[in-house]
Amino acid sequence: MGGNGSSPCAACKLLRRRCAKDCIFAPYFPSSDPHKFAIVHKIFGASNVGKMLQELPEQQREDAVNSLVYEASARMKDPVYGCVGAISFLQDQVSHLQMQLAVAQAEILCIQMQQDQPVPTPQIEHFASTHRHQDHQQNSLFYHSRNNHLPQQQQHLNFASSSSDDHSIQDPFKRESFYGHHDLFS
Amino acid sequence: MNSTRCAACKYLRKKCPPDCIFSPLFPASDPQRFAHIHRIYGAGNIARMLQKLPAHLRAQAAESLSFEARCRIEDPVYGCVKIISQLQQEIFMAQSQLAKTLAQFQVFCNSLSIADPQFQHAAEASSSFIDQGPRSNHL
Repeated sequence: MGGNGSSPCAACKLLRRRCAKDCIFAPYFPSSDPHKFAIVHKIFGASNVGKMLQELPEQQREDAVNSLVYEASARMKDPVYGCVGAISFLQDQVSHLQMQLAVAQAEILCIQMQQDQPVPTPQIEHFASTHRHQDHQQNSLFYHSRNNHLPQQQQHLNFASSSSDDHSIQDPFKRESFYGHHDLFS
Repeated sequence: MNSTRCAACKYLRKKCPPDCIFSPLFPASDPQRFAHIHRIYGAGNIARMLQKLPAHLRAQAAESLSFEARCRIEDPVYGCVKIISQLQQEIFMAQSQLAKTLAQFQVFCNSLSIADPQFQHAAEASSSFIDQGPRSNHL
């Protein structure tokens, strides 16, 4: 990879500079995938990405790169809301599912009461985890969003060092963004 | 030039022109907001991104960028992507739980409908409810 003179990494290729042996980008932006660095550079800028990576221990850099690529992709696809649109969308999904679960539980209890038969109710885990948003005071922004757009295709995020088709992170956005109608920040 | 420079121009130590793109979005009253966003994206990138958007969408774009920048500063490895991952996990768990609940509900209703025909309607309703569940929760 970097420094051999024959194959500069994608970053050094794009930046048209010599790829040093200790190039910080080389391990994460191979020349075989120029698009990966291109989108990160477009949104964050090469020097900002380099600074961010420099500040991280080596074992965390790959995950950091993957998450930056994910965010950059999201921002390219939705220049107004980026990842924030996805967060709002997913929160709506969670609310919708919780509502469905509550209805189902209520139905069971109702019938159970009518029959006066002790039926073991399913153990419902408390998955409205509050810890998730406690660390981010900004998350209060999103609870204003109450649109009930039904969820569409959604894929799991995988930060493992895997090689998938889309720059090591599955592309979560398989539909046009409609987040423009969300009033997220009122 | 604005008599009061916006947070961006103050931070960048330059004059704040009347048509400054940052001025409506980064008031001087909140200097840290611009500082965060500049640290992650860079003023030039932000200006470029905002220029490409219609004026009425820039405030929301600035807000979302500000949020993502704050998340990245707080969590330099995962940023706001961690929230997405956690939400996806919650959705997965909620869907599993819902499927289990509905299946149990249907079994219960079916057993009741055999014993008491008046519950046949509930059994049919639960069956259609189960059918509706997966359709409305595509993953």
